[in-house]
Amino acid sequence: MIETFHTGMFAASLCIIIAFFSFMKETDDLHRLLLTDLASVMALFLIALVGTDLAEALILPGLVVTISKLMALAEIYLVKEGIWGNQPARTLDIEVLQSAPAILASILVLYGIFLSGFSGGAVAGLGVIFYIICKGHQERFELIETVSGYAWVAWIGAFFIMLIFPSQWFLAVMIAGGAILIKVTAKLSLIGTMRGESDV
Amino acid sequence: MSPEFIIGFGLIILGTVATAWPSPKDYITRLINLELPAFGILLVMLSFDETLALLTFIAVTAISTFLFVRVIEKKEARK
Repeated sequence: MIETFHTGMFAASLCIIIAFFSFMKETDDLHRLLLTDLASVMALFLIALVGTDLAEALILPGLVVTISKLMALAEIYLVKEGIWGNQPARTLDIEVLQSAPAILASILVLYGIFLSGFSGGAVAGLGVIFYIICKGHQERFELIETVSGYAWVAWIGAFFIMLIFPSQWFLAVMIAGGAILIKVTAKLSLIGTMRGESDV
Repeated sequence: MSPEFIIGFGLIILGTVATAWPSPKDYITRLINLELPAFGILLVMLSFDETLALLTFIAVTAISTFLFVRVIEKKEARK
């Protein structure tokens, strides 16, 4: 176990040095953005080497921070370069994108509901993202926001149940699991609206 | 050391080199090479039984690839 850890540490430091040098010589901003993702992979590798439940607990927020950081940096880059409203000459047109979404999205959403909790929400959210990306969307943001607001309230309420009536812990866990499922799904599905439209 | 760890470990080192100095130096090549260390870290997580982290990493990788493709699309559209 300790030997694995040390070998991994050696590899991680080697990779970090390589990534650092390539970062230093890079002048193009978009290339730098791609290298940022490489740096985040290195960081996750370091954490994963711990190999316990602690590592898992640290990786999850690390991933969330990574993706939000990338999204923010990408938007800043688009605004800075003045290419915000650019439409690509030809949008991606693949036949599978027309036929697959309904069945694939429904499988993902059903499996996500079966999993429940945070990871279930992520899986179901991926299904919704996939559907919205492929099929386009109408403006229903108010509905999504309302649902996710009520889910938030239910999540907090579940914690109060757990604190005030500890004997009802099972009910509280179920409410919290369902609420976080809806919350994560709603938030993730917003990402699906990024394709094509210049006004979102 | 399990075989998953050794393969993942090799993929991470090779993938880092490939991403740091991609051969035709353009965005798409770098983005595709970025998948190599990502796959390596998946194998490392697999060898340590970190299920939740693995699943979330897959989801986040899909979203970030989509994000990069969108930015590259807009960047190329100007030329």
